[in-house]
Amino acid sequence: MAGNFWQSSHHQQWILDKQDLIRDRQHDLNILTEEEYQKIFNFFASIIQILGEQLKLRQQVIATATVYFKRFYARNSLKCIDPLLLAPTCVFLASKVEEFGVISNSRLITTCQTVIKNKFSYAYGQQEFPYRTNHILECEFYLLENLDCCLIVYQPYRPLLLFVQDIGQDEQLLTYAWRIVNDSLRTDVSLLYPPYQIAIGALHIACVMLGKENLKPWFAELNVDMDKIQEIVRSIINLYEMWKSYDEKKEIQVLLGKMPKPKPAPQR
Amino acid sequence: MNEPTLRYEKIDFLGEGQFATVYKARDVKTDKIVAVKKIKIGSRLEAQDGINRTALREIKLLQELEHINLIGLLDVFGQKSNVSLVFDFMDTDLEIIVKDSNIVLTPANVKAYMIMTLKGLEYLHQNWILHRDLKPNNLLINREGILKIGDFGLAKAFGSPTRINTHQVVTRWYRSPELLFGARQYGTGVDMWAVGCILAELLLRVPFLPGESDLDQLSRIFQVFGTPTEENWPGMKGLTDYVQFKLFPPQQLRHIFSAASDDLLQLLESLLALYPPNRCDCTQALQMPYFSNKPAPSVGSKLPMPSNISKIETEKPSLKRKLLDNIDGGSLAKRLQF
Repeated sequence: MAGNFWQSSHHQQWILDKQDLIRDRQHDLNILTEEEYQKIFNFFASIIQILGEQLKLRQQVIATATVYFKRFYARNSLKCIDPLLLAPTCVFLASKVEEFGVISNSRLITTCQTVIKNKFSYAYGQQEFPYRTNHILECEFYLLENLDCCLIVYQPYRPLLLFVQDIGQDEQLLTYAWRIVNDSLRTDVSLLYPPYQIAIGALHIACVMLGKENLKPWFAELNVDMDKIQEIVRSIINLYEMWKSYDEKKEIQVLLGKMPKPKPAPQR
Repeated sequence: MNEPTLRYEKIDFLGEGQFATVYKARDVKTDKIVAVKKIKIGSRLEAQDGINRTALREIKLLQELEHINLIGLLDVFGQKSNVSLVFDFMDTDLEIIVKDSNIVLTPANVKAYMIMTLKGLEYLHQNWILHRDLKPNNLLINREGILKIGDFGLAKAFGSPTRINTHQVVTRWYRSPELLFGARQYGTGVDMWAVGCILAELLLRVPFLPGESDLDQLSRIFQVFGTPTEENWPGMKGLTDYVQFKLFPPQQLRHIFSAASDDLLQLLESLLALYPPNRCDCTQALQMPYFSNKPAPSVGSKLPMPSNISKIETEKPSLKRKLLDNIDGGSLAKRLQF
C-alpha cells in the first residue's frame, strides 16, 4: 500500500527503541552472545530469502516476510517458536498480505523440504524439515497476534528509487544500494529506523564503495537527521565486518545447538 | 487479546453468511456494544489456505486507517484456527433506510449522507485504497446518525500503472461501465460511479439501474446516458469485453429526477460520467455548489432511523438481514473473486 507512512502502524507502533529491544532480548542474550544472536538471524534471513526465491516471490514479499520474522522475535524469545517453523510461516503470511497469488500450503512444505535438504544440509545434516501444514496454520495465527495485526510494512525500495531518480538515474548506484538494502534485512535497522532513512544509509554506503565524491552536496542538502543515517551505516558495515571472519558453514550447527528451544520439541 | 471469549459477551446472533457469522456483543472491558464477525474456516480445502484472505484484507487495511466515516476495527482475536474481527456496532444501514417507506428522506438528509460517504471515501482514496464494493448496505449508520463505510473485503491498494486488477468487483447495480466492459486498469472512478448510483437511489427510493445481467446492466446505463462512441470515450472499443450496443440517445436527468435541484443534478452528472476520466473525484465533488448551497445538511441527531431503533437504548436487532447480505456480500462478485 502506498498510503501514508507517518500515519501507519509501521511508524506509530513498530519503530522500536534500541534500549527496549536490547531489554526484550535479555533472555536470549543470557544464553547467546550478541554476535551469536546476530549470526542466527543472518542464517534464518537466508532461509527466508532462498525460500522466497524458490517460490518465485518478489523481493518486496521476501522483505516483508523477513521483517515479520524480526518483529516476532523482537518481542519473543527464540524458545517461543522454532525459527525453522516461523520462517516459512512469515513467507506464507507475507505472500497473502502482499496479494501475491496463492501459495498452496503443500507447495510451501515441499519447497521447505527441498531447500533444507539441498541448500542447508550444512546446518541440518540429514535431518528433514520437520513441520507440516497444521503447524504452519497454527503458527500463522500466533504470528498475526504477535504482530498486533500490523501487516503493512514499508520497505526502503520505493524511497530508494525516488532518491536515485532525484540524483539523476545512475543504474550502477541503484544496483549497489538495492543490494545493500537487501543486506540490511540481516541487521536490526528495519526495526529501529524508518525505511527512507535506511534507503539513504544504503545510498551513502554505495557512494563510498563507488567513490562518488561528487554526490557529497546532494547528501549535504538533505533535511534528515545525519546521526541516524550514521547509525544505520554503522549497523550495516558491522554486518560486513562480521561476514569477513565468519564461516557460516562451519559454525552454524554449533550455534543452532546452543539456541534456546521450545519445550517439548515438536512431535512428528 | 487474552481470553477473548470472556472479553466479548455475546448478546445476540445477527446473521450468518458464506464467510462469517456475526454476533452483537458487549465488550466487558469497555462496556461498549460491538459487532463480532467470526470468520468461518470453510471447507477443508480452504482451511489449508490458513487465515481467510478476505479477513486478512480487512485486517491489514483497517489497521492502517482511521476516519470517522470508516468502520473501525477494534480488535482481532483467534481461538484455535478461527479468526474473529471486532467492529464498531452499527444500528442500521442505508439500504434499510432507503427501503423503509415510513422514512421521509428530505433534501437535507440526502446531502448529509452524501457528505459523510464522500468524506470517508476521500480519505480512502487519499490513502490509495479503492473500496470496490460500495452499495447502500455497505454504508452503515449508527443511532447518532453517523455514516461509516464498511466491508473492506474487496478493498485494494491501487495506483500502480502496471498492476492488473480483476473486473469482477462491485455488486452489479453499482458497477461502472468500464468494469462491465472488462477493464483491468481502473481507478477511483469505479467508486465514484457507485456513489452516483447510491445518490440516485436516495432520490428514487429504488435502485437506479437494477440490471439483470452484465449486458442488461450496460444496456440500462446507455438507455439513460446514451450509448458512448469512440469520440466521447476514446479507447472503449479496445476493452476486453467490449460489445457494440444499439445507439441510444442520452436522456435529460431532470426528467428522471424531477424533484432534484439543479446543483444536485450537476453533482449526479459528474459522478455518473460515462468516460471514467470525466468523472469527478471526491475532493472535486465536495467542492461543488450543491454542498455549499441551501439547504444545509441535517445534523446527525436529525437523521431518520428505522422505527424499531429508537435513539435511546432498546434492544431490537434490525440489521440481521443487512449483515447477512454483507457477509455474503455482493455475493456474485465476491464468490468470483476466489
